[in-house]
Amino acid sequence: MSNRHASEKAKLWNRRQLLQAGFVGLGVTGVAIALEYARRLNFSPTVKVPLPPTEAAIAEGFTPFTFLREFDYGTVTQENGRTVREFRVEARTSPIRLNSATTFITWNLNGRVPGPTFRAKEGDRIRVIFFNKAGHSHSLHFHGIHEAKMDGVKPVRNGAVFIYEFDAEPYGVHLYHCHVAPVTRHINKGLYGMFIVDPPKPRPPADEIVLIMAGYDVNNDKKNELYAFNGLPDYYMHHPIPIQQNQLIRLYVLNMIEFDVAATFHLHANLFQVYPTGRTLEPQEETDVITMGTAERHILEFSYRYPGKYMFHPHQDEMAEAGCMGLFDVVEKA
Amino acid sequence: MKFIFQFLGLFLSTVCVAVLVSCGNQSPDTSSTPASSPTSQNASTGQMAHSGHAKININTAILSELDKLEAKLGIPALSHKIQASRPYGKTEELVSKNLLTQEQFDQIKDMVTVEDVVLTGEAKDVDYMTKLGLMKGHLLVAGELLKIQKPKEAEPHIGHPVEEIYADVEEQFRERNVKDFKNELIALQDLVKAGAKDSAKVNADFKASMQAVDGAIAGIPAAQRQSPRFVLQVINGLLDTAVAEYTASIADGKISQIIEYQDSRGFVVYANDLYQDIASQVAQKSESDKVIRENMANLIKVWPSVTPPKTPVMSPEEVSQLVKSIGLSSQKVIQSM
Repeated sequence: MSNRHASEKAKLWNRRQLLQAGFVGLGVTGVAIALEYARRLNFSPTVKVPLPPTEAAIAEGFTPFTFLREFDYGTVTQENGRTVREFRVEARTSPIRLNSATTFITWNLNGRVPGPTFRAKEGDRIRVIFFNKAGHSHSLHFHGIHEAKMDGVKPVRNGAVFIYEFDAEPYGVHLYHCHVAPVTRHINKGLYGMFIVDPPKPRPPADEIVLIMAGYDVNNDKKNELYAFNGLPDYYMHHPIPIQQNQLIRLYVLNMIEFDVAATFHLHANLFQVYPTGRTLEPQEETDVITMGTAERHILEFSYRYPGKYMFHPHQDEMAEAGCMGLFDVVEKA
Repeated sequence: MKFIFQFLGLFLSTVCVAVLVSCGNQSPDTSSTPASSPTSQNASTGQMAHSGHAKININTAILSELDKLEAKLGIPALSHKIQASRPYGKTEELVSKNLLTQEQFDQIKDMVTVEDVVLTGEAKDVDYMTKLGLMKGHLLVAGELLKIQKPKEAEPHIGHPVEEIYADVEEQFRERNVKDFKNELIALQDLVKAGAKDSAKVNADFKASMQAVDGAIAGIPAAQRQSPRFVLQVINGLLDTAVAEYTASIADGKISQIIEYQDSRGFVVYANDLYQDIASQVAQKSESDKVIRENMANLIKVWPSVTPPKTPVMSPEEVSQLVKSIGLSSQKVIQSM
């Protein structure tokens, strides 16, 4: 594929990405996100990302499609010769309509569940400016390697700010979540997100997708009544995720389900390569069901040979049927 | 399927944050101000370095602390503006957020920080007492719920003091000559978790926990605990948290999160108790007493009982308005003393 072709596609992306992210009329953010995409596509001219349906996203602000391929690289500055990525997040409370019968009050970052997917390269300096405006005390506890004082177990009271600062290490798929007890409730109500640290030499080009499994205990009985990928029950069942036939898909999968000890991730009509915790550059296993305890996460890679719709879900089928289920729509190469 | 964040303002502010965080190299912050200027270099190294003594953390300081900056620079209402423009990634943002000119900033830059600071003096006492006040509020509603035989509902309110707050104040117990009481709180929590079957034992343990918190409050000298200036700061800390909790309890115009409703009730009830003790002193000195008393009386009606009313008595916005008004009147009293 020629370079000219690639840059045309990147341009196309600028416009379409605006639509897909649902930021019509709110151009600045859209452009910023689109630029990030274009930048990535320049790195990987062969990756083709089919567009998800736009109507739903436009009308409703944030949808699980927003979280699918949106990576937050922060505001970048150079300080003392180092790359510093600064992220500003606010803990808030806001209601989310989980289905026609259930509105749930979430505790969240920046009004969204899950929180933003932070992304950096190994060795970057991370600075997270955390402002708690959510009533209860909250905190952000990052997985990865850092000093004790940056471990985020100390509660940050309502109205206060804490600045977490540490190096992004080691490379892999990590996560962050509130660590104020009862942690089950603080995670279950939405204070969590993914933290991806890229290896020094980037992984090969692929269509990269984030899927976070979570449960909702809507009546405080310490059991989940609903489950979801990327925040909303059953969303990807009703809005399948389009992906390209014969293209490398790289899933960043995290199990953030509280109250159930473990969940699997199962992909239909295919097998995937497993990079445990994203800590390897070579796959360590091939399977179609992988078990994850709460907070476990992996990189899974696969591609589909045949077009059509294929389900993905935990094989704890009760969870799947209570909302943790979705579809890939494999579209033919044009 | 709907996924609507109900408040447009909230959504817009989300977008504002999104603009900040998603711009990458395109960020206005980095393009408009030279990132490599000596000041920002110093700031970043300063952030990791050891801090001088008694600096004011502009991200967390209470109003009376920020008043020191207001007084030094002679800028009216600066404390409120600093609070309203949080968060700050660097102290220089006081300038980039148009709160101070570079000249003004240079005068106070050695007094401020965004690092975690060890509080001292009045600010330390207010912070300590406010946290114990939150504990007290939790336990007050827990007590009400135990009384009406609802141990399951009482449990989170017995848990919160030890889970969310205790670790933040325990370091100060020794210097304040206060007996550690974590074990009392945990024992009560265990008992209630196990179903609170022996009611005599529950009552005794509950009383012990309440007394322990009162004992810790007594770690503040009595003169201070009776000073309107001091108590009003604590009251406003409690009420701010109550607003946030009350807001977090309501969805679709209904009180759907009972725990947060009850949390906010406890904080307001205790704030009201505290005010009654200083009301006559405030009345002697200031017209503000009337305003505070009136707003307080309206506020307390929002929580008619420990079980939430079918429909909220007031919207979170109305509650927030009342609390703001109490805050403004308090500020007048505080600054006059």
